[in-house]
Amino acid sequence: MEMTDHDRLTDSELDALFDAGRDAAPVPSEALMVRIMADAEAEITRREGPRAPARRRGPFAGFLAGLGGWPALAGLATATVAGVWLGFSAPDSLNSLAGGLLLPDSATTATRYDLEDIVPGYGGLAALYEEG
Amino acid sequence: MAFDALSDVSDEALLVAFGNGDRQAASMLTLRLTPRVMGFAARMLHGDRAEAEDVTQEAMLRLWKIAPDWRQGEAQVTTWLYRVTANLCTDRLRKRRGVDLDSVPEPADDAPGAEARMIRADRAQALQTALDALPERQRMAVTLRHLEGLTNPEIAVAMEISVEAVESLTARGKRALAAGLASQREELGYGDD
Repeated sequence: MEMTDHDRLTDSELDALFDAGRDAAPVPSEALMVRIMADAEAEITRREGPRAPARRRGPFAGFLAGLGGWPALAGLATATVAGVWLGFSAPDSLNSLAGGLLLPDSATTATRYDLEDIVPGYGGLAALYEEG
Repeated sequence: MAFDALSDVSDEALLVAFGNGDRQAASMLTLRLTPRVMGFAARMLHGDRAEAEDVTQEAMLRLWKIAPDWRQGEAQVTTWLYRVTANLCTDRLRKRRGVDLDSVPEPADDAPGAEARMIRADRAQALQTALDALPERQRMAVTLRHLEGLTNPEIAVAMEISVEAVESLTARGKRALAAGLASQREELGYGDD
């Protein structure tokens, strides 16, 4: 059967439909725009940011990393030993520990600072050492 | 750079700027491109808004990811984006097929306004329904040509077919629409004259 003009819309009628269709185009929601911008932000961060750790660390590894890794731990051990030695050697004056640097003319003025002058709470213990 | 100054910058320049970490370029691209992607996706997905939003977000995400590797002068940003969106829609439609083929969302029933506005809304709805009835590739070509305003060569790139194939698809699509909608001439406000 031959199609007559009446069996189909004319071009201009169809164009008017497209025109109405363009006006009724769905508008993206604000939430969608926010999500898309957040994706862009995340992508920039991903590209700029440091490489993420390959796997989750255990508590000890985390503690170690916080200190600076194994080399730092070696330094920490040295410092601990030095601390213990200082404790035992118990200098009776801070000046002797500083090699006279703190009070360079201590010999002439005979000015001495006992450890309890600097650290008053330490007085009792310092007295114990001094008295034997 | 002031936001206004970016309005004259091409999509491609903005994309390259974004690839170099420019956040303002991302905002501008989002504002400029999202409505277009969303409109096209919604047409392809039978007016399903939620699914169209998902596809739009995914297409834009792919744009963000390709930005640092974008090769200038090789493709148009919009055409590339339409192609990605077309493929995403095709995937969705393939998955959906046979599951809920008839689940076309009903149009929202607006409070009666001016008659002219109602006719316009009716026309838009009738068009979507008629588009839904077209084969997928025809719907894609007609939508890109007559609703998104792309040229035939642009559509050819977006659909990865020849310009001749685009012409054939749009011509057949338009003929089918004109025939399918003829019975609703009265309701569409064309009347008999």
